[in-house]
Amino acid sequence: MSDDIFITEATIDGESDGPLAGKQVAIKDNISTDGVKTTCGSKMLADYVPPYDATVVERITDAGGTIVGKTNMDEFGMGTTTEMSYFGPTDNPAAPGHVPGGSSGGSAAAVAAGAADLALGSDTGGSIRCPAAFCGVVGIKPTYGLVSRYGLVAYANSLEQIGPIAGTVEDAATLLEVIAGVDERDGTTRDPPQGDVAYSDAADGNVDGLSIGIPTELLEGAEDGVVDAFWDGIEQLESQGATTHDVSLPSVEHAVEAYYVIAMSEASSNLARFDGVRYGHSGGFDGNWNETFAAGRAEGFGDEVKRRILLGTYALSAGYHDKYYKKAQNARAWVKQDFDSALEEADVLASPTMPVTPFELGESLDDPLQMYLADANTVPVNLADLPAISVPVGDADGLPVGMQLVGPAFGERQLIRAGSALE
Amino acid sequence: MTAQTVQQGDLVTVIGLEVHVQLETNTKIFCGCSTAPADGPNEHVCPVCLGLPGALPVLNEAAVEAAVKIGKAIDATIPEETRFHRKNYYYPDLPKNFQITQYDEPICQDGELEISLEGERHTIAIERAHLEEDPGSLQHVGGSIDTAEYTLVDYNRAGTPLMEIVTAPDFRSPKEVRAFLAELEEVLEYLAVFDASRDGSLRVDANLSIIDGERVSDDGSIELADLEAANRTEVKNISSHKGAEKALAYEETRQKNAVRRGREVEQETRHWDESRGITVSMRSKEAEKDYRYFAEADLPPLRVAHWKDEIAIPELPKARRERFASEYGLGEEAASKLTSTKQVADFYEDVASEFDPDLAATWVADELLGELNYRDMQITDIEGRLEEIATLVELVATDEITAKNAKEVVLRGMLDERDDPETIVDREGLGKTDDDAVQAAVLEAIEENPDAVADYEAGEGGAINFLVGQVMQKTGGSADPGDVNGLLRAELE
Repeated sequence: MSDDIFITEATIDGESDGPLAGKQVAIKDNISTDGVKTTCGSKMLADYVPPYDATVVERITDAGGTIVGKTNMDEFGMGTTTEMSYFGPTDNPAAPGHVPGGSSGGSAAAVAAGAADLALGSDTGGSIRCPAAFCGVVGIKPTYGLVSRYGLVAYANSLEQIGPIAGTVEDAATLLEVIAGVDERDGTTRDPPQGDVAYSDAADGNVDGLSIGIPTELLEGAEDGVVDAFWDGIEQLESQGATTHDVSLPSVEHAVEAYYVIAMSEASSNLARFDGVRYGHSGGFDGNWNETFAAGRAEGFGDEVKRRILLGTYALSAGYHDKYYKKAQNARAWVKQDFDSALEEADVLASPTMPVTPFELGESLDDPLQMYLADANTVPVNLADLPAISVPVGDADGLPVGMQLVGPAFGERQLIRAGSALE
Repeated sequence: MTAQTVQQGDLVTVIGLEVHVQLETNTKIFCGCSTAPADGPNEHVCPVCLGLPGALPVLNEAAVEAAVKIGKAIDATIPEETRFHRKNYYYPDLPKNFQITQYDEPICQDGELEISLEGERHTIAIERAHLEEDPGSLQHVGGSIDTAEYTLVDYNRAGTPLMEIVTAPDFRSPKEVRAFLAELEEVLEYLAVFDASRDGSLRVDANLSIIDGERVSDDGSIELADLEAANRTEVKNISSHKGAEKALAYEETRQKNAVRRGREVEQETRHWDESRGITVSMRSKEAEKDYRYFAEADLPPLRVAHWKDEIAIPELPKARRERFASEYGLGEEAASKLTSTKQVADFYEDVASEFDPDLAATWVADELLGELNYRDMQITDIEGRLEEIATLVELVATDEITAKNAKEVVLRGMLDERDDPETIVDREGLGKTDDDAVQAAVLEAIEENPDAVADYEAGEGGAINFLVGQVMQKTGGSADPGDVNGLLRAELE
């Protein structure tokens, strides 16, 4: 069952004790592991063996966790189904024949299949929350800056965070506690204003008096079965003392466009380093270097990656920069503002994580736009730099459904408390 | 801006500079790798400066501090907040295929630097100065960039902090450019943020165009539209003051000749070929490069407001020159020479505090710097021996040795044989002869030269000089001629 979950199975032993002692942890294959191949699901890096560990990997092994392998993913994180991997798709253990979501599909599948107790994913526009929802497990996308990105191979560096995937909210919170906190190797990390990063004890299920805002825009366009499961979850929270009210986030209708412009622009620059000179697939070392770089990149990158690099290059180019990149930045500021005001009236915001249930394998491959639109509920959160959790709330026709809860910056404890009330 | 008289039909040269200087920090700008010279290629490298997947830059505070010092020294505006951008282009020496630099919010804006040329002062406006990372270096094996068999890449240099200093098009001659570079280098060395002796630490790109003199107004200014209308060339690969003057003089002549012959100057990038002494065309009529600048999200905006006041800079060459003139009563030339480097100025002040400032000025500015210059040595080459020079000046000041011997024997011996002054004085027997020995020589001279004595007594003035010469010979030149004169006259009265 697990043969399509890992790109590389390898054991990295941790310390003998610590909060993760005895736990098996799967790592998404875009997180650098010293001496163990880190491919990003790409032919470009199929043989790349990093000489250093990501900060999160060090923290996990220091905390006693044992790393069991590097999980499958959409190439460089660019996808919503894990079918964009050079190494082939991963089946969904919770819904066989369906995609596990993406781009951290291998990590969510590892937890769902029991191939690991815990897993790390990375979330640029929903890449932790989507597979968590599709595989019926828990995933947390932390506040931007809470977890070090040192060693995370960048796709869109202003948007992405590493975060935990686990079978329970408490387990996810325990892993988050281990990896969170300032890292001097990542200048964008910050400690929460409250000071500490204690999360595991927050999973107490106490939602008495919790105020939940429900953004109406994020329910529009969701499948009926998903909406039904979502309301069942909301009722469950209300029955434990939470209150709900509608909120509006008018900016989110532009979020998908803004997200893709920003993510692709950053990707066009972040992926420029793959020229085959120092590492990675090379186009050879003869002839004109410009043509050699181009040949290596043409062979090493898949179609979706090329599509995003080309669109991103275009969006940043002179004459188009203002029309696309700058406009997207303005939209991003607007989305942030919308979330901030909604969160002044509510402790958390709730929506379906994905507006759809998992696609059948192969179903979305020919229609990138359909795939991009499936990110409608998750991408606004990355634009706003906020934390979010996806927790299972039943199923629609036997397919897993997740509820997304979004909190204020560094409000992870609140999300963990609310999420644990759904279990 | 240079004021000058322009006659109709004159062609005026307009030059602007982009100067890259490496900042002297112990570690690179975005990682902990050493900036010291390495024993071999690719030794001072790590995941960050090699651009390995997942590595992130972290800003080195020392580089920011150096930039703030430079900003203060050139009277620039240092904004409360500054940030970094990515400049995207592919090149084999660039590990990430983008360079982290600053774009629309540089750390220094609107500064200036005053230069002095042939007794005239000019102010050169500095539009901006910003921080960025140096790329690696390429080694073309078996030829030049066009003809090499293959090319090797060395990333030791990658990530060395650079400051790019961009001037306004305020230069009207290659000589002014040379004076500016010398002044700039002097200031940077005073600030201790730059080491001129390091290979490749100064790199200059210059834009040069020729404007019809009629377009220059009386105060020397030129309308922006006129500047933009003139085709200019960008001259690259300049790495010294002298090289800048030569390259731009060549380019100035080339363009003026073209204009006089009615040919249009092509807008292009040209490469200064130092060994052949010419500029050669690299690429012409290219479209403006599109670097797709955008904000570097891995480095948060940098707030320098609170640093500005905490970072102090030392007295700069210009202020020090002025103070030397007023405090020590030195002329402009001596003051300039004595402030040419911070080490020279510091040394002069040490010596002047103990002896007569005039004597100290003569010895440091004329004798010492002259002898060093003759030997192609720098003041730093005698670092650690400055005490010895002070001893030498003291020997002269206290009349232990004559000025002539001090310079011709002792100083030269110190520089050529690396001996200390006392050793040379003893070895050469230069100590001024004691009074008894001089007195004995005086008596001897009188006894041995009755004719000269007779001439003296007959009132012939030249005779005393002959006798002085005899005494000096007997004392091996160590007696004071004035004293000898007095002693002779006393004996002969």
